[in-house]
Formats: sequence, structure tokens, C-alpha cells
Amino acid sequence: MKAVCWMGKSKIETLKVPDPVILNPHDAILRVTRTAICGSDLHLFDGFIPTMEQGDILGHEFMGIVEDVGRDVKNLKPGDRVVVPFTIACGQCEFCHKGLWSACDNTNPNAHLMETAYGYSGSGLFGYSHMMGGYAGGQAQYVRVPFANIGPLKIESYLPDEKVLFLTDIFPTGYMAAENAQIAEGDTVAVWGCGPVGQFAIASAFMLGAGRVIAVDRIPERLELARSLGAITVDYTEQDVSVLQAMRDLTGGMGPDSCIDAVGLEAHSNQLQGVYDKVKTMLMLETDRPIVLRQAIQAVRKGGTLSVPGVYGGLLDKVPFGAAFGKGITMKMGQTHMHKYMKPLLERIEKGQIDPSYIISHRITLEEAPHMYEVWRDKKEKVTKIVIDPWAEKAA
Amino acid sequence: MAEILRTDARTALHERPGAEQSESRTLGANVVEDGRYMAPPTDEDGKQWVRTSVLIKGEPRDLYGLWHNVEDAPLWQEQIASVTRTGEKTSHWTMQSATGTLEWDSEIMSDEPGHRITWRSIGGDSENAGEVVFEAAPGGRGTYVTVLQEFRMGKLASTFETLTGRNPKQAVIENLRHFKALAETGEIPRTHGQPHGPRGAAGTVKSAAYAENVAQPPGLERMAS
Ligand SMILES: NC(=O)c1ccc[n+]([C@@H]2O[C@H](COP(=O)([O-])OP(=O)(O)OC[C@H]3O[C@@H](n4cnc5c(N)ncnc54)[C@H](O)[C@@H]3O)[C@@H](O)[C@H]2O)c1
Ligand SMILES: [Zn+2]
Ligand SMILES: [Zn+2]
Repeated sequence: MKAVCWMGKSKIETLKVPDPVILNPHDAILRVTRTAICGSDLHLFDGFIPTMEQGDILGHEFMGIVEDVGRDVKNLKPGDRVVVPFTIACGQCEFCHKGLWSACDNTNPNAHLMETAYGYSGSGLFGYSHMMGGYAGGQAQYVRVPFANIGPLKIESYLPDEKVLFLTDIFPTGYMAAENAQIAEGDTVAVWGCGPVGQFAIASAFMLGAGRVIAVDRIPERLELARSLGAITVDYTEQDVSVLQAMRDLTGGMGPDSCIDAVGLEAHSNQLQGVYDKVKTMLMLETDRPIVLRQAIQAVRKGGTLSVPGVYGGLLDKVPFGAAFGKGITMKMGQTHMHKYMKPLLERIEKGQIDPSYIISHRITLEEAPHMYEVWRDKKEKVTKIVIDPWAEKAA
Repeated sequence: MAEILRTDARTALHERPGAEQSESRTLGANVVEDGRYMAPPTDEDGKQWVRTSVLIKGEPRDLYGLWHNVEDAPLWQEQIASVTRTGEKTSHWTMQSATGTLEWDSEIMSDEPGHRITWRSIGGDSENAGEVVFEAAPGGRGTYVTVLQEFRMGKLASTFETLTGRNPKQAVIENLRHFKALAETGEIPRTHGQPHGPRGAAGTVKSAAYAENVAQPPGLERMAS
């Protein structure tokens, strides 16, 4: 089959690789019908996530048709159409029982690598480094899905793939970000980053009762999408704009009730602070660039909540913890507990409350994927979300 | 005031609705004795120790049963090719490698059904002894399974290391992890055998510790074939 492979930092190729086979009793094999490139994949492309190896198959956002199932998969049969959560969960351990699906104990065969770094290991993920399981990803024509008895969500309605695909990660991720923000009716919520995760965080904040949403980014078409959802936008690169000032101005001097960092470790900055972080990450004294995190901690109101769906991987420098303590804020974060959100969010899509396909800007083939990683990273085109049809042939 | 001063810590707290009933025993694998945390033994005189625990959703009695069934050990212990019962308390263990076979005999020293097993090797290529304790976790959350394993660095330990890229202490930790996965889900998570692109020269060296390159024990998959 064809698959998108990580061949080194800034080096991605579409290659012929062997087809996946069933390895365990709860496995399924899918014929992938749609898959997407995620902001998280850019962290891999840029070499920010350790334990990637040459030849790793990328992709954690995908859906498809069941081809084959293992002996103990009773809920699926060949021909079923399913969306697959990017976190793999066993459904049986203490964490799965608690609904902390992305903390599952039994799905990371390389748990020891994460234990060394984090103390304990989270669940395995598709296509996201050996430390996080080393599972082959879904930017491919076929994919093996472990614990298919627990994860995949069957789509039985007529809805086209594009409307349900984002249940695989970013819609639940944006929704959990809003839920983690502990929004009360009428609250003001500020969202940094208007990428796909930020978009769904904005939409979900409104669904959960936010009275005002402030969205921060610099990319015009993304800010425009945010305004189309009803948010007030702040372009942090505009002359004379101070984000902290904007937050005060838009909240009667009080600060937002909740702040959401939907940017993560590769935050961009044109200020001196950004240069400082860039130099330190180059010298390996700091691994992440927590510019947005710092801003959000400063901006949030006293006793407010900071929700962090944006990914951080390692060590952060100059995090204003004193401000966090001084204001008595709550922080919530982490990989999305996918399995908890997929079904209720599918119901919202089926009821017509939201059509997640509005963020798609590019529809491409597997062959075009390596180039599109570059285009997205370098913001060469107006990219909001890239969807791949793994069976489409390159247009001549 | 005086009354408060006379009150000791044990009686000062009158309500502990979720607390465990403390039991005290004097066994090596015990993590708590008389209310005190006990650190694991430290390595000395060529003897190495490792102690590791997991929480498993299940009853102590069932998990004890799974462990006690030594002939099923190849399902969840790394690199074990076969285990045969040779007597009421003895068994013969075989570890298969590309370079040859390691064999040893093992004997159960003490056996408290549903609660605790201790064993030691009695000749062959390995010198080891171990203990496993199964106890109900506080709050009815399942069973804490704690393994204490002692071994001497020798042929087994060093062969194991070259075979699997794991040091033998880590192997004890991994085996308990496999035991938990098997007990809770019926399978052991696996990436060995999945597709990937060309690994290149560097990949093969660096990735010795990845599950993709270490054949994981088969779990119940073996029973199917
Ligand atoms: N928690 C999870 O389970 C989970 C799941 C998916 C994605 N993520 C993470 O969420 C984050 C966003 O993902 P995405 O797909 O939307 O990525 P993306 O790269 O498309 O979007 C990030 C956006 O942040 C903006 N940005 C950069 N610096 C900024 C700054 N200083 N202030 C304000 N905006 C800034 C960029 O212009 C961009 O529009 C990533 O870190 C990704 O890894 C987390
Ligand atoms: Zn994603
Ligand atoms: Zn689990």
C-alpha cells in the first residue's frame, strides 16, 4: 500500500510499504477512506517530538471501512464505516473506567519510554512517535486499529465522510478544551490560535454558553473563520496591539473568565521573548516555546480557568507560576479523552447543530501530502485544514 | 487543651470512610509494614533486586490463579519459550534465543492461595528468586500486584540483555505490565509485525528498545493458533 512516512526532520515521503495485518485478537484492519493532516503533525515534521524514527507511518486522524476483524471484535464487521479516535484505549483499566481514556494503562507497548520522561505513561497514539506507542498511522491506504472493540465509532447515517471525519481528533479536542475551561453561562472566553483546534474550541465555547469569545491569531483567513462563528478577533501582529491590553479592554478590565491555549509548543512570536525561546530551544536548554502559555496565565482573570489543548512536550522556561498562584487560577490540560466525546458530538452533527467540514481548505492525494506539510508549515497558501483521499490519483 | 495533647495521631482522626484496614506481615515484597512505607532492597554483593507493582482490575484470587499457572507463563513473560511442570512444586523453564537455549529449574518455596507465592531457581543457567503478593487495593479499586525479584548477573541476565535490549530489571517491570494487560484485556499491546517504511542505518541501532523490534509475548493470541 501507499503511506506517508516520516523520513527525518523536515523530510516526509509517500512510499510503498507492506499492508498491515491483524496482530492481536481485538484488532481491525481498515481501508482508509479519508485522513487529515493535523497541527500536531507539524510538531513531528519540525522535529519537536523525540523517538520518531525514519520510516514511521504518519497520521492519527482517519476514518474508513472495516476490511477485517480479529477474533474478539464482536461489535464490527467488514463493510462497517467507522471514525477512529487518535488515542487508543483498552476500555478495561482503572483509567478507562474513570473516563480518562487518553490515560489508558494498557495500550502503549513502549510505556517505559514515557515513564522515564513523565513518571507514568499515557495511552498509545497512532502515528505519533515510539514514545507514544509507535503505532503505524493512518495517512495510508490501510491501517491496523488495535482495540477496535472499544474505539471506532460506527457511522450509520448518510452523512458524507468529510462531515464526520473530524470526530477523529480536532472536534472532540476543541470541545474538551471548552469543557475544561469550565464555562458558566455568559462567560467571556479567550482562545489563542484559530487553527482547527481553536476553531472547534470557539464553536464549543458558544455551545457551552459563552457570552463572548475573543480569538487571537495572525492569519487573516483563520481570523475570518473565527469571526464567522461569532468571535471577536485580535490580530496580535498588528501595529500597536498588545494582547494583554486587548484582553483587559474587551472585559471591562477584569480579564477573561477562561483562557484556552490552542497553539502549544511551537507558538510564534516576533518579540524579543520569542528570540530568547528560539535560542534556548536550539541550545536544548528548553524544549518548548511557551509564549502563549505565558500570555494566557497573565491574561486570565482572578480565580479563572486556563485550558490547554495545545501540545507541550518537555521543559518550559519562565512560566509565570507566581501569577497563576497569586490569582488562584485553575489549569486543565492533556490529550483528549476521545472516547467520551465522539458519540455525543456525532449526535450534534446529525442534528445539524454544526458542520465541521467548514474548516477544510485543501483536498489532496497521498502523493501530494509531503509537499502540503511544507506548504502548511511555511503558511505558503491559505491553509486551514488538509484532507487526504488515500485512493485518489493525482490529477494530471 | 491537655486532652488534645494526649491524643495520638491514630485516634485524632475519627473519620476515614475510604481508608483500608491495615494488615501487617513481615515479607520481602511488602511495601507497607506497621503503617510505615518500606523501601525496596538495594543491590549488593552481585545481587540485584527489583520491586514493582501494578493495579489490576480483578480479584486477588483470580490473579493469583493466572500467575500460579506456570505453564501459561510464556503467554506473558518475555522470551520464555516453554515451562513444564516437573513436580508438585517444581517446573522446568526454557528461554530460546537465536544463539542458543537457556534452561533452569524453579521451585515454589511458599504458597498462600489467593495471596502470595515465593520461588527460587534450583540449578541451571539462572540464579534467581522471587515473590509476588496480591492484595486488595484500598477503596475496592482492584488488586495491587507487587513483585520482588532477586537475581545475580550471570549468563541469563546478560544474554537477556543482548536478546531484548532490556536490562533484566526492566524485564521484570515489563513482564508485570504484560501480566496486567493480559489479565485486564486478554491481549498484550503489540506493534511487532506492523508495516513501516525503510528504517535506514541509524534506525535499527537506536530502536533496539522499541516494542516494534522486541517480540512481545503473545498473550492469548497464541491460544488461537
Ligand atoms: N490535546 C490534544 O489532544 C490535541 C489534539 C490535536 C491537536 N492538539 C494541539 O493543538 C494545537 C493546535 O492544533 P491545530 O491543528 O489547530 O494547529 P495549527 O498549527 O493549525 O494552529 C495553530 C494556530 O496558532 C496560531 N499561533 C501561533 N502563534 C500564536 C501566538 N503567539 N498567538 C496566537 N496564535 C498563535 C497560528 O497562527 C495557527 O493558526 C497544536 O499544538 C496541536 O498539537 C492537541
Ligand atoms: Zn490531530
Ligand atoms: Zn485502558
